[in-house]
Amino acid sequence: MKKGLAFVVSALVFLAVGLTAFAGGQTEKSTASKQLTFVFVPGVVDPFYYTMEKGARAAAAKYGVNLIVSDYPKSWGPEVQVPILQATVAQGNIDMVFLAPTSTDALVAPLKKLYDSGIEIITVDTYIGNGDYSTASDFSFPLSYIGSDNVAGGKLMAEDLAKLIGDKGQVYVNSTNPDVSSVNGRVIGFKQGAAEFPNIQVVGVDYNLDVQQKAQEETSAILQQYPHLAGVFGTNLYSAEGAYQAVVNAGLTGAVKIASWDATADLINALKQGQVDLVLAQKPADMGYLAVEWGYKHFHDKAEVPKKIGTGFELFTKDNVNDPDMAQYIYTK
Amino acid sequence: MSDRQAARPRTGRLVSFVGRRWALLFLVAEAIAFCFIARGFFTLDTFQLVFIAGVPLFLLGLAETFVIISGGIDLSVGFVFGFASVVSAKLIVALQGAGASPGLAILIGCAATLLIGMIPGYFNGVLVARLRVPPFIATYSMLSVTYGISELLVEGSQAGNLPYLSSVIGTGFIAYFIPGHGFSFFTHERVARGTPVYSIIPLVVVAAFVFVAIFVFLLRMTKFGHHTYAIGGNPDAAVRSGIDVKAHLERVYVISALLATLAGILYMLQFSQGKSDAGASYLLDSIVAVVIGGASLYGGVGTAGGTIIGALLLSVLETGLRVLGVATFNIYIIVGIILIIAVLIDQFFPEITSSESGASP
Repeated sequence: MKKGLAFVVSALVFLAVGLTAFAGGQTEKSTASKQLTFVFVPGVVDPFYYTMEKGARAAAAKYGVNLIVSDYPKSWGPEVQVPILQATVAQGNIDMVFLAPTSTDALVAPLKKLYDSGIEIITVDTYIGNGDYSTASDFSFPLSYIGSDNVAGGKLMAEDLAKLIGDKGQVYVNSTNPDVSSVNGRVIGFKQGAAEFPNIQVVGVDYNLDVQQKAQEETSAILQQYPHLAGVFGTNLYSAEGAYQAVVNAGLTGAVKIASWDATADLINALKQGQVDLVLAQKPADMGYLAVEWGYKHFHDKAEVPKKIGTGFELFTKDNVNDPDMAQYIYTK
Repeated sequence: MSDRQAARPRTGRLVSFVGRRWALLFLVAEAIAFCFIARGFFTLDTFQLVFIAGVPLFLLGLAETFVIISGGIDLSVGFVFGFASVVSAKLIVALQGAGASPGLAILIGCAATLLIGMIPGYFNGVLVARLRVPPFIATYSMLSVTYGISELLVEGSQAGNLPYLSSVIGTGFIAYFIPGHGFSFFTHERVARGTPVYSIIPLVVVAAFVFVAIFVFLLRMTKFGHHTYAIGGNPDAAVRSGIDVKAHLERVYVISALLATLAGILYMLQFSQGKSDAGASYLLDSIVAVVIGGASLYGGVGTAGGTIIGALLLSVLETGLRVLGVATFNIYIIVGIILIIAVLIDQFFPEITSSESGASP
């Protein structure tokens, strides 16, 4: 019994010594090569981030960057993302990390630690702090925020939805979370846009916490309350899918116009079938591509990286949804 | 016992040696394997990451160890965890609003939450011990109640706006070593970017292990611990030998809730937020850790050390696969197989598990 334990312990010591030598040899080898190594940490497992990865891979291939894509977090939140981030950078010799931070607060400390160790940071799609990296603060250390201008996008949706409903009537917003920077910007922008139409009234905003079922129930309740509702704006795929299901169930397809954010294959199909009327596509592939490209320029050409880079939108309607040029903007795995 | 062992052929003894320590051997083997195949695994940082990732499992696993040894099960730990993260976050923000300094607010908020967190445990205990509700049902209803209350408190969202200090504590280390500057404790001086700073021993791990040490002592060395085994082994005999089984079981469920509460508080400090379902995914993993650690779901058998090994086994697996860059859903397959092995060993070689880890230690 004691002999057995002694054996296990001595075997461990032996292995530990051997491994130290092994690990030492390995790091020496990898520092010799000068290829840039970037890490991409997605926000959650979702076609949006798969599309972003594709853009990043395209840029990495063009510029000869070694791109490491971490495990995709199974749910949205720092408790899932931070351990993945830390374990992925443990591989060592990382020049830059770009990621979609899942919390404006909780990611600050772990990212600052990476920054202090000499790694550059770019946030894509979402940001830390208030997203303004141009003035000095505790969270202004990232090179850049690359993402959609959500307020502008929300405004665009309000204007296009207004066209569809003839510039008048009651509209309703279904959003996901009251404290997520991206969707909140869309709500604010939508309200600003709607305010420019005197005959359009925003009757309310509900939050579904990323649960499609809840979005559906909330929309059904609103349809009961406002029988003449003219339009719904869903601020992400859960909102939009829940909202159009509620409208379909109420038999109001076509009568209530649905404007949806995010071009998933499901929403594009719903658009083709007339259950959704307007789909806004962000450009996740551009976000990934630009993050790698600007990272490369930063290291290779010592370029000054803009603190904020907007990536624009494409709008799908029933008129252009079958246009082959538009297919590239649909999010796919 | 010794006669039987002597009579057994050599292979039998080898089987029993490996069988008794299979979890430990598996842990060592997987750690060594990752050292060779995953670049960056054999580093101080990754070693500590394994423990940081393991904190919820150590605490919830230990909570389940007490309850499972006593012959019950506690399904509420995951949501008591979330409840604690929400309550502590809300309390700290409220105290700060009332004028307390961030440090004081965090201290009082966490201490008060530890007390509040024992309430669901007390109800679990009363339901199970006094009102004879099956533990599965009693703790499941407490899961539901704590989840609902947390959701009410955050109004369907999550608790945030915590002072920056909370995240400094939650992501802090005991000591820092900067080559050329030497050691410093809790904080380190600002150094030029790119200077290596070695962070040593995460504060959340220290906090967890202080509690682990206390409750391991309680389970192994005290009469309270012995009674827990006795009740799980044979409740009728325990009653006959004069143990106040009802009062004892109540305390066991309170301990379980207390450990889950601590895990929730550490989560809140680490991630600057309170979320009602923050601990949901840890419930099954904590029970898995207990079973891998050699406890029997029929009660009376198990050790805290075994549970810690079980938790480390899971945590090494998860961290290793992440460092390797392999999708972590592979864990589910591996964990499933490990669990089957654990149960089969328990089933077919009961003498292996019960001779060492069994009964009162």
